[in-house]
Amino acid sequence: MDSLAFKDDISGSVAAANSLQLIAFSIGEQTYGVEITTVREIRAWNGATPLPNTREFVRGVINLRGTIVPIFDLRARFGEGVTSPTKNHVVVVMSVGEKWVGILVDAVSDILTVAKDDIHNVPEGNSIDTELLNGIVTHENRMVGLIDLHAVVSGAKVDA
Amino acid sequence: MFGNPEGFVTKSMSDLDDFKATYFDECSELLLELEEQFAAIEEGERSSDRLNAVFRAIHSIKGGGGAFGFQGLVGFAHAYETLLDHVRDGRVELSEHVTALCIRANDIVADFVAAAREGRALAPGFGAEEKLQFDALTSNDPDAAGEPMDEFDIDFVPVMVTIAGAEDDAAAAEPLTFAGLDDSFEAPPLLADAGQWTIRFTPHSELYARANDPLLLLRELGTLGEIQVRAVLDEIPALADFEPFGVYCSWEITLSSATASEAAIAEVFEFVEGNCDLEISRGAAVAEEELDEAIEAMPSFAELLEAPVAVEAEVLSFTELAEAMKPALKAAPPLMPPPLLKQAAQVEEFEGDNDRRSGVEDRRNGVQSIRVDLDKIDRVVNMVGELVITQSMLTQQMDETLRARYQELVRGLEVLAQTTRGLQDSVMAIRAQPVKTVFSRMPRLVRELASKTGKKIRLETIGENTEIDKTIIEQLSDPLTHMIRNSADHGIETPERRAAAGKAEGGVIRLSAEQAGGNILIAVEDDGGGINRERVLQVARDRGVVGPEQMLSDEQIDQLIFAPGFSTASEVSDISGRGVGMDVVLSNIKKIGGSVHVKSWTGKGTRMTLRLPLTLAVLDVMLVKVAGSPYVIPLSSIVETIQCARANFSRMPTGGQVLQVRGEYVQVVDLASRFEMTTEVARDNRFVVLCEAEGGVKVALIVDDIIGQQQVVIKSLEENFQSIEGIAGGTILGDGNVALIVDVQGLKSANSPHKSAA
Repeated sequence: MDSLAFKDDISGSVAAANSLQLIAFSIGEQTYGVEITTVREIRAWNGATPLPNTREFVRGVINLRGTIVPIFDLRARFGEGVTSPTKNHVVVVMSVGEKWVGILVDAVSDILTVAKDDIHNVPEGNSIDTELLNGIVTHENRMVGLIDLHAVVSGAKVDA
Repeated sequence: MFGNPEGFVTKSMSDLDDFKATYFDECSELLLELEEQFAAIEEGERSSDRLNAVFRAIHSIKGGGGAFGFQGLVGFAHAYETLLDHVRDGRVELSEHVTALCIRANDIVADFVAAAREGRALAPGFGAEEKLQFDALTSNDPDAAGEPMDEFDIDFVPVMVTIAGAEDDAAAAEPLTFAGLDDSFEAPPLLADAGQWTIRFTPHSELYARANDPLLLLRELGTLGEIQVRAVLDEIPALADFEPFGVYCSWEITLSSATASEAAIAEVFEFVEGNCDLEISRGAAVAEEELDEAIEAMPSFAELLEAPVAVEAEVLSFTELAEAMKPALKAAPPLMPPPLLKQAAQVEEFEGDNDRRSGVEDRRNGVQSIRVDLDKIDRVVNMVGELVITQSMLTQQMDETLRARYQELVRGLEVLAQTTRGLQDSVMAIRAQPVKTVFSRMPRLVRELASKTGKKIRLETIGENTEIDKTIIEQLSDPLTHMIRNSADHGIETPERRAAAGKAEGGVIRLSAEQAGGNILIAVEDDGGGINRERVLQVARDRGVVGPEQMLSDEQIDQLIFAPGFSTASEVSDISGRGVGMDVVLSNIKKIGGSVHVKSWTGKGTRMTLRLPLTLAVLDVMLVKVAGSPYVIPLSSIVETIQCARANFSRMPTGGQVLQVRGEYVQVVDLASRFEMTTEVARDNRFVVLCEAEGGVKVALIVDDIIGQQQVVIKSLEENFQSIEGIAGGTILGDGNVALIVDVQGLKSANSPHKSAA
């Protein structure tokens, strides 16, 4: 998958308004964000049909008004173990290119407006972080990781 | 995705592309029509109707091609059309050679159209050989050779033009029109007054509204003889008063022809009868200057109308109008008395003929159809699928207590169920097409096969009006081609052998289609020698498809012809015998949710039957549970279900399991472990679903529970995700949950013991 396209996308809209709106959500103590324009809807967790022969971070598929949408467990994707979801957990449905995917998170916390100058590069080091994040931004003394959706949804097959 | 403002811009820019797309759609239909007509012509039905249809189709393809500037196509179609024209009026005999040439020409036209559609160039000499043959056939007619193709120089300057078109040469023979060839109308021979006719043609706006083109009519008139056309432009108002859709132009044509009769001339205008004023009079038109003066002196048609219309201000029927006009017409200066009176007389005729004319009108309305993008229909089909599911979900929610309490609701739900089913049927009917569209390609195939193999083969088709989903029809062409090839190559014997066996020399392949419940059965039957079972088994053993010890029933041997890589032809022939074919048939048919059965009678023939679903949108499935998740298995691949407690499992030395069922050992796939899930259901309470994969190979799937049968709408996993091994797709159940469709073929081939054979 081409993650560059997504990065260009962000910088493009930043250049237009010089600021960026994010939907922020939490996994445990950590806060992550995605650009608000990619979010299609937010739903409560209501179970998913598990998919065989996929990696553990693929929670399965749900019926979104007649189309089948895969759900990714973001906690598991970051290698922090599989989420045990409750009714209070939230699925953020987003569009990645032509496809729609859902991301299972603990809660949606906020809508943030950040200046493009405040976005920092991800420091080299942790390979999962550099792979899955586009950048880091500080908001009210919290660190918010910008999710690279293309990277999150890639490598879902067991053999991939 | 949402209301893209640029959409409008791109749309208007792509108008021409839209027209092109429509043209290509029409071409496909016309090419199909050509196939059909020639199939019938080959059968010996050489009626002029058929030739006319062929002529019209080629003419339409040429016309559209000219408009878009597809030079190669137009050039070839023109030459072809000339030949057809010669055939039509009997100057060239429709011999077998010519028929074969025409059929080849159809293919070439199809290639030209395909090339134009894909925007690629064909080799410069493409079709040149056939074109030469056309010319050779038509060249004994001096007019035809090197005939100019000026038909497409459509000139919008309204000046005197001589229409010398491709049909010119036809004038030498009997008067012919597109419309009434078979009317067997004979023009009464005209004697001394080898004639001059004056025709005054004034179209009404309805003529244009019905998409008629005066140019075509005039061109048609040109086939009757030498014509001179003069456009009458006096009615054109000042620009300020000009209505864009107003009709201001009429024509005056002088026709010189020794043979043309008034009826023949009138026939040219047959299709626009009632939508124009037509005056036909004998004799040369008034000399031009005189005419101009006369026209100026004559009150305009509009003026003629004005007075009486003003008096009877309200709605006037045509007859009333005509009645009202009569005095005005009579009062007009006697410039050309006979034609004017004649017109009045014609008007009177119409009065008596009103019924017949309205009948014609009705018929025109009856065949109305619209062209709709398939995507749009698919969207409706999908939504109706959802509706069906929602409706069944609602019905499931109604338990006994609810039923007792809310009887009105129950009744409402029943009506809803009925309406939904009706809606579903109607939507499916929109997608349905007669199998004729595929069947019509087969006669040519059989003829080619017969000539290649040196056998005598006749093709019979039955039930070609049986309707089936368009998508399925598209998938049918390849399998049917393979099956017919197989019948012609392996089934039907050579004439000598047939004679020796006491059969008629010519073999018969019968292609039939019928609806049986929710399925369509398509059978390819031949009266050949039947499957040579000894040889099939021998080959299967040689290739390791069947183990040396394995004993097979006749039926099982017959099924072997569908095994991948299997072919009994000792020599690879041009036609079949490459070992691809019958397995392709099976996999293609499975893909569209169908099944194939073969039945053979030694010495008497073979019948292969395709059982196809009526539609692809809905799949009949068995709903099962594996490790708490719902899965569905296509019913078409299920052979039987067995309780695990009663099943006869054996352990293989390698640790794998096999199931023994009626003397056959079948590979076992435990879906829970295959899908890396854990199940708590005790082994004996689970079930075996015995499925048949490609090539009649069986596989036993172990599931936790069988829930029931139902119809589901297939949903793609790839749309938002990716394909997954062992899963053919997903579907949405009545409770809104997603169930996965088990890919029986995929599961089997993933760890097939016969992998080397494939």
